Amino acid sequence: MSLAQRGRRITLVGLVLLAGVYVRALAYTPMERFQGPAQKIFYLHVPAAWSAMLAMGLVGLSSVLYLLLRDARFDRFAAASAEVGTTFSLVMLTTGPIWAKPIWGTWWTWDARLTLTLFLFFLFLGYLLLRSAVAEPGLRARYSAVLGICGLVLLPFIHLSVYLFRTLHPQPIVLKPSSPSLPGDMLITLLLSFAVFTVLYVGFVTQRYALSLEREAQGSGDVGRA
Amino acid sequence: MPDVPQNAGYMVAAYIVTAVILLVYAVSLSRRANRP
Repeated sequence: MSLAQRGRRITLVGLVLLAGVYVRALAYTPMERFQGPAQKIFYLHVPAAWSAMLAMGLVGLSSVLYLLLRDARFDRFAAASAEVGTTFSLVMLTTGPIWAKPIWGTWWTWDARLTLTLFLFFLFLGYLLLRSAVAEPGLRARYSAVLGICGLVLLPFIHLSVYLFRTLHPQPIVLKPSSPSLPGDMLITLLLSFAVFTVLYVGFVTQRYALSLEREAQGSGDVGRA
Repeated sequence: MPDVPQNAGYMVAAYIVTAVILLVYAVSLSRRANRP
């Protein structure tokens, strides 16, 4: 089985499992009393944010490895992860305001957490634009690796922003030093959704990586624009 | 006990938007792979 086929299968499994998460979240997970049905956006928004951060984290690590080892596989992986991260960032940035409107009374507020996540999205876009703007593969890989490392540096600030600044955004309820503060049924749904979004990330990145390989084999050598 | 807020429309919108974004991206990857 080729890498592209493997990626397509993983993505398909991820999409089917996502349908399962929808059913579990909407029909079998209790409703939060104070926020009402809108709280269930949580089961998509938080895993999408996780996947976007995972994507940027791996873009950054691959970029470091590329600069150290000059192995094109790391550059190819970083490009794939950045494109997939852009997609998950888009999910995070659309579901967030849809959840915020009924709960906070506003679609958006310029506090530290929201502004930094918007910045993360722009960093992903900038990374992709940079790759399509530089034609020479060696330069493209080097420039985008530097930008990828900037993204990696941004991640701790995004995670800690809710502790460091006054914000409307809730503090972490799972990724924190103490045990998760969530009832059992809700926690299971959230963890399932985390797992499914991670499967989707793996499926998408595998497909996107295979696409780059295919384009290179065809002789275009244009990893950034695959 | 407070009344449960009636905001299911926002929930439905978020679930639809998420499905659309992820499906469109999955289709885009497949189409690009099939492009000669």
